[in-house]
Amino acid sequence: MLLRMLLFAWIAAALIAGFLWAPLVPVLGDTTRVFYFHFPAALLTCVAFGWSTLHSVLYLARRDLAHDAQAAGAAELGLLFCVVATLSGSLWAKAMWGSYWNWDPRETSIFFLMLIYGAYLALRSAVDGEARRARLAAIYSCVAFVAVPFLIFVVPRLYFSLHPEPVLNARGKPDIDPRILLVAAAMFAGETALFAWMLALRVRVARLARAREGA
Amino acid sequence: MPSASSSSAAAVWAILRKECRSEWRTRYGLNAALLFAIATLTAVSFAVGRLGDRPDLLAALLWIVLLFASLAALAHTFVREVEGHTLTLLRLTASPTSIALGKLLFNLLFLAVIELVAVPLDLVLLGGPPLHWGRFLAVLALGSVALAGTATLVGAIIAQTRGRGALFAAVSLPVLLPVLAGAVSGTRAQWSGAPVGAELRLLAAYGAAMLGLSLVLYDHLWEE
Repeated sequence: MLLRMLLFAWIAAALIAGFLWAPLVPVLGDTTRVFYFHFPAALLTCVAFGWSTLHSVLYLARRDLAHDAQAAGAAELGLLFCVVATLSGSLWAKAMWGSYWNWDPRETSIFFLMLIYGAYLALRSAVDGEARRARLAAIYSCVAFVAVPFLIFVVPRLYFSLHPEPVLNARGKPDIDPRILLVAAAMFAGETALFAWMLALRVRVARLARAREGA
Repeated sequence: MPSASSSSAAAVWAILRKECRSEWRTRYGLNAALLFAIATLTAVSFAVGRLGDRPDLLAALLWIVLLFASLAALAHTFVREVEGHTLTLLRLTASPTSIALGKLLFNLLFLAVIELVAVPLDLVLLGGPPLHWGRFLAVLALGSVALAGTATLVGAIIAQTRGRGALFAAVSLPVLLPVLAGAVSGTRAQWSGAPVGAELRLLAAYGAAMLGLSLVLYDHLWEE
């Protein structure tokens, strides 16, 4: 309970700092603050899907349904953060580039991620028997894990890129105000804790449901 | 018994022959895929006319027709075993790897037959001949390998689920998107006289990755 209150206070403090303490980037103006939602959510999407893949591989190696619950929960939550990152990015794109969607490489890759994990969850819902569901989902997760680097790093290179990445993320040394980075990092830490807490709840629910069916 | 002949070339060859024979008996998948390709090409041709000066559209339409014409049939190799209750017997006689390789080779052959009809028809109805036959055929060949490798693996997963047909397209398309993107981009580049090295590398790497993954994962696919 105390931890949850702390988490709430942490995220609230980070948001307030984002509005009152951190400066605005000249070109971006007020929309700078979208960064505090968009960037941590996008990063956390990758963390969540990575966690899901890790547990899928562990399930195939060890055949413990606890790993399957972790993989499924992380995929669901990752999809949630993926939607947050996409929607905030889309609104930001409308404000900055004048259009909600441009199929720019980053937009394309996050859209692919959404499709893949949507398909993963659709696959899970179509399999009878939890051991078989866990096994088939883990196998698909491995296939997706191989496809993702192609979708994110290779395919966008084939199409010309129009992303304003250098504005916020110059290679090596970020030419971005350290206060903005600090707030974004604090948001990321807070959202990661939120993710861990929600995932623990999902895993517990799955374990209880299994225990009830077994009893 | 399976371990003696497992993943040997003989077992793969036997599976490939069995697949060809059972497909030839009904020709159900082949007829459906060919008719689908021809009907779609006709519809597209009526709708847009000739596209000789629009290589971007020509490349995209060619691959979309090929993808959707072959997709349902590519999953069919495994679905057929599950629906006919012959998978258990098949597994008694061959290792998962040789079943996978045999079915992959059959799917490649199947795709080649579809392309033999659909690609010339597409070129005749919609546009002109490719600018660089070598590049065009290289993209087509590597694209087919990547497409067949991915679709065979996803088809094996899907065969064990409920509502296989409807689910297959939804589950396989996201992982087929790199293939589609690379193949369309390569076909388009060839028409505008640009080099296609990047696309060929992408398709080859993706096909190799899917093939390697298949060999690792097929052991886990059937355990019950």
